[in-house]
Amino acid sequence: MSVGAKTTPALGPQTIRQHAASQKQGLAHVSHLSEILSFENESNDVIGALLKELAVPHRRTERWKYSPIAGFWKKHKPATCVTIADSNCEAQPVPGLDAYRLVFVNGTFDPLASDLPIAAGVVCMPLSDAVRSGIVQREISSVEKSEWFAALNGQFAGEGMYLAVEKAVELDRPVLIHQRQQGAGVPTFLRHVIELGAQSQAQVVNWSSASSDASGSVNTLTEVHVGEQAVFTLDKVQDESGEVHHLAFEAVDQAANSTFKIHTMTIQGAWVRNDLQICLSGQGCDAHLNGIFLPTAKEFVDNHTTVDHREAHCTSSESYKGILYGQSTGVFNGKVFVRPDAQQTNAYQQNANILGSRQATMNAKPELEIYADDVKCSHGCTIGQFDDEALFYARSRGIGEDEAKAMLVHAFIGDVIESIAIPEVAMEVRHRLSEKHNWDRWDDANLL
Amino acid sequence: MLTINKLKASIGDSEILKGLDLTIGPGEVHAIMGPNGSGKSTLASVLAGREDYAVTGGKVDFLGMELLEMDATARARSGLFLAFQYPVEIPGVSNINFMRAALNGKRAHEGLEPIAGKAFLELVKEKASLVELDGRLRNRSVNEGFSGGEKKRNEIFQMAMLEPKLAVLDETDSGLDIDALRIVANGVNSMRSPERSFLVITHYQRLLDYIVPDFVHVLVDGRIVRTGGKELALELEERGYDWIKEAVTS
Amino acid sequence: MAYDGKDKVLEEVTAKAYEFGFTTDIESDKAPAGLNEDIIRMISAKKNEPDWMLKTRLEAFEVWKTMEEPEWPHLSYTQPDYQAMSYYAAPKQKKKLNSLDEVDPELLRTMDKLGISMEEQKRLSGVAVDFVMDSVSVATSFKAKLGELGIIFCSMSDAVQEHPELIKKYMGSVVPTRDNFFSALNAAVFTDGSFCYIPKGVKCPMELSTYFRINESGTGQFERTLVVADVGSYVSYLEGCTAPQRDENQLHAAVVELVALDNAEIKYSTVQNWYPGDADGKGGIFNFVTKRGICHTRAKISWTQVETGSAVTWKYPSCILKGDYSVGEFYSVAVTNNAQQADTGTKMIHIGRNTHSTIISKGISSGRSQNSYRGLVQIMPSAENARNFSQCDSLLMTDTSGAHTFPYIEVKNPSAKVEHEATTSKIGEDQIFYCLQRGIDAEQAISLIVNGYAKDVLNQLPMEFAVEAQKLLAISLEGSVG
Repeated sequence: MSVGAKTTPALGPQTIRQHAASQKQGLAHVSHLSEILSFENESNDVIGALLKELAVPHRRTERWKYSPIAGFWKKHKPATCVTIADSNCEAQPVPGLDAYRLVFVNGTFDPLASDLPIAAGVVCMPLSDAVRSGIVQREISSVEKSEWFAALNGQFAGEGMYLAVEKAVELDRPVLIHQRQQGAGVPTFLRHVIELGAQSQAQVVNWSSASSDASGSVNTLTEVHVGEQAVFTLDKVQDESGEVHHLAFEAVDQAANSTFKIHTMTIQGAWVRNDLQICLSGQGCDAHLNGIFLPTAKEFVDNHTTVDHREAHCTSSESYKGILYGQSTGVFNGKVFVRPDAQQTNAYQQNANILGSRQATMNAKPELEIYADDVKCSHGCTIGQFDDEALFYARSRGIGEDEAKAMLVHAFIGDVIESIAIPEVAMEVRHRLSEKHNWDRWDDANLL
Repeated sequence: MLTINKLKASIGDSEILKGLDLTIGPGEVHAIMGPNGSGKSTLASVLAGREDYAVTGGKVDFLGMELLEMDATARARSGLFLAFQYPVEIPGVSNINFMRAALNGKRAHEGLEPIAGKAFLELVKEKASLVELDGRLRNRSVNEGFSGGEKKRNEIFQMAMLEPKLAVLDETDSGLDIDALRIVANGVNSMRSPERSFLVITHYQRLLDYIVPDFVHVLVDGRIVRTGGKELALELEERGYDWIKEAVTS
Repeated sequence: MAYDGKDKVLEEVTAKAYEFGFTTDIESDKAPAGLNEDIIRMISAKKNEPDWMLKTRLEAFEVWKTMEEPEWPHLSYTQPDYQAMSYYAAPKQKKKLNSLDEVDPELLRTMDKLGISMEEQKRLSGVAVDFVMDSVSVATSFKAKLGELGIIFCSMSDAVQEHPELIKKYMGSVVPTRDNFFSALNAAVFTDGSFCYIPKGVKCPMELSTYFRINESGTGQFERTLVVADVGSYVSYLEGCTAPQRDENQLHAAVVELVALDNAEIKYSTVQNWYPGDADGKGGIFNFVTKRGICHTRAKISWTQVETGSAVTWKYPSCILKGDYSVGEFYSVAVTNNAQQADTGTKMIHIGRNTHSTIISKGISSGRSQNSYRGLVQIMPSAENARNFSQCDSLLMTDTSGAHTFPYIEVKNPSAKVEHEATTSKIGEDQIFYCLQRGIDAEQAISLIVNGYAKDVLNQLPMEFAVEAQKLLAISLEGSVG
């Protein structure tokens, strides 16, 4: 699965100093988790060493500058609920969606609630089964070698989805992964491995939900390999009540002429950080990264993206939009990295944000790091408030303020939602957002 | 003035000019017409010395010099001017400064002193009036924010400033409305003289109503397949290019 | 790649040596290498400083010892050995100078070579010049004339002696000692610099200018500049820097503090041309500089910089927009060639209401250099209706150079409007060809295009500096396009 490393510049300055107190805290956390979680990884030694060598993020770690992690060090406890039936929650969160389904409750696979695809050229099963039967080898991904929390996932994640689609096979229905977090203080680690053969095609929806009394942490690492000319879309929807700390890594490797699209929709979550690392490892790749986040109250949403252009003639486009309410905090850190061989790169990145309240905060860091000359790269970032003129115009036509704002919200994030490939998912995202924000007239606004 | 002998040129793997012959005498106006993709703009680029094209054969004599041996700057300074189909924008560089650098480059080539500020400004004023280029455009950045017509007028203004011996107009009529076309054509006509030649590349006959050519050539598939007087242009306008293509292939 | 002829022309010009790479043979008074309390006491004693100044220095030294050199910039260099360099080098003087006529003739010749002959300056442009060589200010012209308006323009050493109340009040008020590793070091060992005070309501009638020069080998330069513009005053301040060509890396760790009181305006322009090292990356200045200004109500600070020199640059001229309706501006052209590295940008901290800031940054990378823009726009909760516009463009001249953009945008007030745009592209081959077709040679074409690209910034410079900057850009980039 791993791609041959080339002698190219490292992704930015790599000197991350260890910080004694944080290291101590991190390692204490590791032993705390070891006590709670029965699962022990086999490649323990390598990962164990990484957990010691890598710097545990702290306030002065550049990539974690805006992401407070104290919540992770809270006491965790083993899960008591491991089936969806006991969790008082629908196994299928998207009405009307005809999809295969893998349900994980507190990180444990729930076979009764799941509906695995059985088709020629498609292998899909819980990761633990795939490892046990020798279908997939345990490998240490590049993100585990650079991020302490990813290494932590390497240490403790024993479950997840394994999906392999053979050459030229098109999966007939989307695969929905539903991760449910239930109850207080549960540590959840999931590892998804997705391998798409050349010219194959698949859609995955990764849905995470949580009970209102849920807390603890979710740490997910999704490794994706998109084969030559393959097309893969990943729709992530995060709709978690409670106080869960949710950390998700996506490590995607694209072969030549492949297409990858990812949508990250954060509807709710006390603390969410998405870290996307997309490698364009062959010529002619196309990557699209879109996202919306509308945190309220004291929610924290962080989107980190890295698009690593390693080869020539690739394009990437990225659009993240945030509206921040209450005392929420948003972070966007998008890096476009163009290596010396990646001539004729075309990279575009846009991050637009609206501060919808006095106490909200937005921190943005759109970065370009470019080592090839024949490129077209640009980024734009805006932070502002609702357009007063437009609001006034709508109100002068007799539209109430909230309604008018809902219209503007739709105008602002509508294009991202519409770019979701699966209409049922787009519909449900709209529905949940209007519930959360009391936008009765959302659908009307949609018509305007 | 210009003698092109069996010129072959290609870009990448595809050969575009496949042995083109053309002779232009002093004071003559030649028009080259042809369907899209026949190699018209390639010919203009190759003559001006754009290095994206590889010359794979043939010779070009310009005023007794081996044109193909010269770099683009030397060609320009020796009196070859190309009016670009798509004039390039250079943000932050004023039209005036740009022209001054160009004119002084040419003067240095001719062993002359740089032109004095006052004389230069007078010259600008005189030449700009030829194409009705107002002061605003003269002081703006080169072609930046110019409309299509303004860009083309600016090309003719530059031509008037540099007084070339041979001017190649590459689809100068494209994107021009009839008024702009008339202005551009007037500018060109006012520069016609027994010592100066023109090579007018166009897809449509319309321009040739205003700039009346002595010879019309039809370029098909990288070769000149027919040569005639101005009436050939009218015939092409009426009958299209297909009959010529057929006549050539049969 | 096209335009072989151009490459050749450019190669020839690249070989052009650094113009200011001469050394001046002046007897100099130099401290032994190393940094400790005794050295600091020695510096303070040499300068005949009052006790409070020595105390400040020693405190700064204690702070510095606890700090670490920053590693976050996008720079790669061997950290200087702070114990191997000398912290004081002064042109030896027999006595305090009373007029220019008493200046060492060798020194005057140095200034001539730099094109800043004081006499010349006096006569032609009426620019008042302070000249700092190897840490010590050697001459300040026009002092008397400025004095009539109540303007103080003198070396920092003189200011400590003659205006202790102003120094005590303002020095360290904008860049505190513990701000960063280099500011702490500077506070401990700074040897001289310029001080400028413009009284209430006075518009300084001439450009004030400081030329910095590192002459001695094995030394660092640690100067400190403090400009205080009192209520309703205006000053335009110019700064130029050169250094001789040496194989070793020399450290320049300066601190510049600007204070613009209510309704005051400070325009600070820098043309930085420290020795960049040779084509192989040997030698050159490490330019680690902290520059910051504070704006009170309706005050304005405008930083303009043309950065062409130094082996490594670490520099973020910043504005703290404390007062309501205050304005901060940052205009920068940073050119890197050969093995140079630059990590430069600005910080705009919006605290007051209706504060505005503008950032225009133009990076040009050539050779195998690395050029980064790093900037922070911070809108505090109190900064109602704050506005920022940032435009950061990068131009790549070669496929071996790098251009990077690291903007940080932190907004804590919803009425703020922040816009950031950045583009990275290659110098236009079609633009070059267009020039060539008009008979403009490659070298001149590049110079035209680059100057056009940087025009928004160059336009901000005072006239006499703008011409110098344009030439400098052309020289720095010759030999660039591959």
